[in-house]
Amino acid sequence: MKVLVDGAEAPLDRAASAAAHLLEQARLPLIAGLGADVEGTRAAVALAERLHGAYDHMSSEFALRDLDVMRQAGQFFGTPNEVRVRADCVLMIGGKLTTAWPDMLERLDLGKPARFDDLQKPRKIFWIGPGRGEAAAAGATEIAAASAEVPGLLAALRAKVAGHKIRPDATIERKLAGVAEDLKAARFGAIIWSAETVGRLTIEMIHGLLLDLNKTTRFTGLPIAAAGNAQGVVQTSGWMTGFPMRTGFGRGYPEHDTWRFEANRLVESGEADVALWISSYKTEPPPWNRRVPFIAIATPNTRFPYPPKVQIDVGTPGIDHNSVEFEQNLRTFTAIEARQASDALQVADVLRLIDSNLDQTLMKGTEAC
Amino acid sequence: MKPFVLTLKASPVQRLDLSQLLPHLLAGKSIAEIAAIDIATTREKVSVGDVFKVAAGDGDEIRFEGGSERFDGIGRGLQSGRITVNGDVGMEAGRQMSGGALNISGRAGPYAGSCMSGGRMEIGGDAGDFLTAPREGEMQGMTGGMLVVRGSTGERPGDRLRRGTIVIEGHTGNCPGSRMIAGTLVVLGRCGAHPGFLMKRGTIALARPPVLGATFVDSGQFASSFPGIFSRLLQNESRGAAKLFRGSLRRFSGDMAALGKGEIYVPA
Repeated sequence: MKVLVDGAEAPLDRAASAAAHLLEQARLPLIAGLGADVEGTRAAVALAERLHGAYDHMSSEFALRDLDVMRQAGQFFGTPNEVRVRADCVLMIGGKLTTAWPDMLERLDLGKPARFDDLQKPRKIFWIGPGRGEAAAAGATEIAAASAEVPGLLAALRAKVAGHKIRPDATIERKLAGVAEDLKAARFGAIIWSAETVGRLTIEMIHGLLLDLNKTTRFTGLPIAAAGNAQGVVQTSGWMTGFPMRTGFGRGYPEHDTWRFEANRLVESGEADVALWISSYKTEPPPWNRRVPFIAIATPNTRFPYPPKVQIDVGTPGIDHNSVEFEQNLRTFTAIEARQASDALQVADVLRLIDSNLDQTLMKGTEAC
Repeated sequence: MKPFVLTLKASPVQRLDLSQLLPHLLAGKSIAEIAAIDIATTREKVSVGDVFKVAAGDGDEIRFEGGSERFDGIGRGLQSGRITVNGDVGMEAGRQMSGGALNISGRAGPYAGSCMSGGRMEIGGDAGDFLTAPREGEMQGMTGGMLVVRGSTGERPGDRLRRGTIVIEGHTGNCPGSRMIAGTLVVLGRCGAHPGFLMKRGTIALARPPVLGATFVDSGQFASSFPGIFSRLLQNESRGAAKLFRGSLRRFSGDMAALGKGEIYVPA
């Protein structure tokens, strides 16, 4: 666990005051990465507000795909447990779902009939565009598709479910033979996807398909949350500011703009002149190319592309210390006890220490929470 | 009538919110009052006088001499009169404008013409992603007016278009006319994948179409008096677009994944 200022070992107090000094000089300080538990996120949003800065999350691109569909079109949601005990038909979409959600197959237990399925028949499982070997491991019928083909296939599937005509296409007919009928015959079905492998419009198409299926049967959606507690940050940010990540306090009040406050764009354009990088779940370095001065609150042994001005190593939530975070297995917040409690620093503590070192004459907004 | 002229002194170090610089808001203001308008978006204060040399006018026209990729919200909410920019602009130019004319000689950022409901907007250079598209949480994009882009645009121009006409003389990225509800989108250059993805109704015309998705059904040669009438309407806006509608067209109906009442015209 290192604490470094300009590359040299330093006491924590001095590192916090150096970080505070750097941040308060900035025109537009940026809090990026934001791989933190609820407590860390609360401290980060409060610090951004105090600094009149902006904040974004390293997986916001993916988290916002699902969120944008929800706020522009609406969504159908289920929980993993509902799918496990009720779904007699499951449609998975896109590759690497088991990477995005390693517990998926164990959690959903698709090999056995659903517990509340009166007929106790084997589940019908389809997988459009799985990664190599993924479909077999899940016991699914593989519908092979390169990622670029997935939107078109899904569109054709939705048209078939709705009973609409499509342009004759032998490949599509072969790949989707009988799938629409099986989906419609389900008594309770589920569609599973990860925003890391399908785009926004494809997600909107999935929800359109769910809408059409729900006209005659019951079908639900099960999105896989992005890494680094992204979904937890969406919700924490929501109750603190009314907005998800990619929100800025430049004018003293929260403004949400998915284009303007995208962390990488802010750095590369030179608009953000100091950055604070937070990554407590994995050794993730900042992705930008411009050498903006930055403070790193990160997992030990992170390899940075260029040295941070201040580096403070922190422990991992749920391992080094207790945490509250969004848990994909439950699709809600859960309290996690430290698996290997240690005296490693926590993101929230470090951020509050930096906050307490800020110039007290800095404009102070009304505390969000 | 003399226009207000705002001449750029030096390129701005932060993004500027220029949405308050509308003809009906400046009318009757003195130079000092205009120079004091706050246009900052960060904690560093910036006012109009810090960035522009202001020459007062008496008309309902504003002219910007010099532009920047950081000029956000130019002509946002424009109701009447005219705004001319000799240069580039940032995001949300002409957003929610309901009347008047907005002319940008250079490039525009993302969300140009977002949710505009009336008036005429022209972009001389290229435009970014999401031309006329709705923003976070909004249910519909452009609902009226005319927008002409002489250059190319990024992804998803005309997203959730509800009414009005968009002409893009250059190329577009993927998914032009995504989720269209109604209205007309014309693209004269090359076009990326999945035009009209999830469109319900509305009209897309593509001079150089890619392979259309299987959820667009071939409805054959289009024989109607509409293209000829529309061509005459477009004559003064874009000669290329007028020419496209004078020629013979083939019609595809879709997106059959959604309602399927939209159409894509391609040259026959």
